[in-house]
Amino acid sequence: MLDQTVARDVLDAALSTGGDFAEIFMEDKRANSLVLQSNRLEKVNSGRTHGAGIRVYVGLNAIYTYTNDTSREGLLNCAKQAALAVKTQKTGIVTASPFAVANIKNIHHIKITPSEAQTRSKADVLRAANAAARLTSDEISQVICSYSDSEQDVVICNSEGLYVTDRRTYSRMACQAVAASGTENQAASAGPGAMMGFELFLDRVDPAKVGKEVGEAAVKMLHAPVCPSGVMPVVIDNGFGGVIFHEACGHSLEATSVAFNISEFAGKLGQQIAAPCVTAIDDGTIPNEWGSENVDDEGMPTTKLVLIENGILKNYMIDHLNGKRMGMAPTGSGRRQDYTFAPTSRMRNTYIAPGNDSNEEMISTMGDGLYAAKLGGGSVNPATGEFNFAVNEGYLVKDGKITTPVRGASLIGKGADIIMQIDRVGKDMQMAQGVCGSQSGSVFTNVGQPMIRVKSMTVGGRA
Amino acid sequence: MQNFLDKLMQAAKASGIEAAEAYIAKQDSFSARSNKGEITEYKSNTKHGLGFRGLKNGRMGYASTEAFDDEAIDQLVKGVLESAELCEDTDTEFLYDGKDEVPTLDLYNARLDDVTATEKLELLLNTEKIASEYDEKIDNVGYNMMTTGKHTLRIVNTYGMDRSFTESLCMLLTGPIAKDGDSVSVGYYGKLSRDFDQLNAQAVASEAAQRAIDGLHAKSLPSGKYRVIMHHETMASLLEVFAKIFSAETAQKGLSLLKGKLGECIAAPCVTLVDDPLLVTALEARPFDAEGVPSKAHTVIENGVFKTFLHNLKTAYKDGVETTGNAAKAGYASSVYVSPSNFYFKAGTKSFNALLKDVSDGVVITEVSGLHAGANAVSGDFSLLSKGYTIKDGVRDQAVEQITVAGNYYELLSSIREFADDLTFPDGGIGCPSADVGELSISGS
Repeated sequence: MLDQTVARDVLDAALSTGGDFAEIFMEDKRANSLVLQSNRLEKVNSGRTHGAGIRVYVGLNAIYTYTNDTSREGLLNCAKQAALAVKTQKTGIVTASPFAVANIKNIHHIKITPSEAQTRSKADVLRAANAAARLTSDEISQVICSYSDSEQDVVICNSEGLYVTDRRTYSRMACQAVAASGTENQAASAGPGAMMGFELFLDRVDPAKVGKEVGEAAVKMLHAPVCPSGVMPVVIDNGFGGVIFHEACGHSLEATSVAFNISEFAGKLGQQIAAPCVTAIDDGTIPNEWGSENVDDEGMPTTKLVLIENGILKNYMIDHLNGKRMGMAPTGSGRRQDYTFAPTSRMRNTYIAPGNDSNEEMISTMGDGLYAAKLGGGSVNPATGEFNFAVNEGYLVKDGKITTPVRGASLIGKGADIIMQIDRVGKDMQMAQGVCGSQSGSVFTNVGQPMIRVKSMTVGGRA
Repeated sequence: MQNFLDKLMQAAKASGIEAAEAYIAKQDSFSARSNKGEITEYKSNTKHGLGFRGLKNGRMGYASTEAFDDEAIDQLVKGVLESAELCEDTDTEFLYDGKDEVPTLDLYNARLDDVTATEKLELLLNTEKIASEYDEKIDNVGYNMMTTGKHTLRIVNTYGMDRSFTESLCMLLTGPIAKDGDSVSVGYYGKLSRDFDQLNAQAVASEAAQRAIDGLHAKSLPSGKYRVIMHHETMASLLEVFAKIFSAETAQKGLSLLKGKLGECIAAPCVTLVDDPLLVTALEARPFDAEGVPSKAHTVIENGVFKTFLHNLKTAYKDGVETTGNAAKAGYASSVYVSPSNFYFKAGTKSFNALLKDVSDGVVITEVSGLHAGANAVSGDFSLLSKGYTIKDGVRDQAVEQITVAGNYYELLSSIREFADDLTFPDGGIGCPSADVGELSISGS
């Protein structure tokens, strides 16, 4: 896809005005999407993303240019644009080192690639989910199912001699069911995905089961009263519940904010930042997982990183440039949505590791509170640690017993407080798929945890 | 590009595609960030993308590309044919004939193309400097960025339509962090314009820094019902999320509770909601929509009465009405849907301070977070992490954080008591005045 001689010339052009380091990220991605709603396949779309981004460092700062024109001339022009922006006092020009082409071991075996799979078969996945969701109740008024897959070919090379190629293959479905009473609507959704081809729907995900679950959840929430407000103990279930760690803590451990000292966890390595029952991992190496990669978007092998061990902060997630800024080694965490973004440190598969507590005990001893069975998305401001996320399916707990379902709740707090407040961690860890938005665009990440209990949290409800 | 287009249209015709359209978006953009007086990020680029759609047996197929080689022509034609063949949508689809006159709007500012990178970086660094020197409590400017852009959209189809427009945009945004003891507060403020000279470092930096300082030592509130004023930026955040309830597409799919309510009173009498793509001072102005239909203004709610949904060609045909020219695409690769252009509530007559006096005791919400999770356009429910301050005896009192404000947007429309006279378009196309929204649930301590 990118000739090595051309790549060397482009890197040299990028460095021609005194830059210290240059990098090319080139991609060619083929993506497909299907949408089924109102019981029929309404949209079938395919697209090709194609372009290259060139990054030049001047000291600790970066210049980034990109183009769709990946011909030799197009790339050279793009490199010259970057070189023009270099302002430096230093004399002497760095040139690109000869490439040592890295032999990357692919640990994510794909059985049926998206281009091999029939579009009709992909539509059948959506039909199965749709039918199952509608079967759950007459109150289901609409079901929207979508399918997306992509194959991204990348070449990443830099002036330090790195030259890496990789292919990333992803498949995902999503199902949203709406239950309606005439005056009210309630929706529920799920979106399982993986770094897999079409075999995802043969080996791992049963579309009908996904449809049935969201249909049942939407109907349950339609009849649920609104959630009360206040401060109370909260038990959060496994799977997508892990979004609490992602928002409350994960973003604040990314070098993106730590390197600029705008994270509440900056300067706290080796200190206790979480309750002793909390161990948290960010792992990009799990075969075929949604947040995994062979190499990151800077060409570094991805890693398994212990972020927090028994409450002690062990590691940050670090990209190449912020690593220089912090004087620390990068952790294979440099990620970007596509060639239009400069990479920065991002999460991969991030989860709270299994603990020793029993799910039954943590609910029976919580007194009155909230059991959050399914969480929605959330957000955080790393500078202050203030986070929020939505409870899509919640239940009131009275005297240690789960009672009625409630809807419309959100959970808020400050990250540093909340991870100290975790007092139970269950045994059954599960992950769920999300799309995380930050400085380098939207990237695929897994969140995960076993069931956990937070001693005290602010629950925002309407009652 | 013209050569590629000609080849593409020929190949489409030869393959049996009955009518075809190319939607070509070209974007030149520049952005930079700084931290502690250094340029930490500098981006400059050009991007070209082409969305292709075509009719075959009455069905619309879609495909897109960023590569303009022969392989791309083959991929686009095959992609459209397969997409049209598999599509089961029974609604009648259209490409626009482009026979109408398009209004001329002044959206392009040649002066912006001449602003040098040096001038842009000076503005950026100056903004950071003013913000950090504004007060000794300003600890760091965590987020400081500026962008400029020039976008050209061209739509060409086999009915002979070939129309385009170019717009200029620039933005300055800063987020200083104030610290005092254990208290940390971030203030954001930005300015968007088509005119570089409208980006004023002093104005942006001091507003943002003052917001950061005002948020220090904020407290939570006891949970309960409070009288609430929504600041215009908060009203705009909510309108942005809930705008889709006014889309005919949403209603036709049974996802808007406004379905069947045309002509009915759905909001308080003080509420008038307008979609106006011809308002060039707001940043979603455009001479035609994503299908090439000429732009016109529409009143969606007039004094509380629901007058019209927003339509594109397909939804209008289905409802037996004229399109409102609200076809939209989320980029060249997207299929066509319905979205507002410049969408705003008409201002009231009272000043913001007069609104505070009227409410006397209550809460002003200045910022809401996590809208993608905490606000649900299908149900209308929202429960959002919020910041603001209390109102005591008609004036600003204590800064507030770590609360959620919860309600339902359909109910909120009816409970608006009054709009202030401060209509502002903070993020581009969505504009709101501050509003006295009556009573809402707040959770806190």
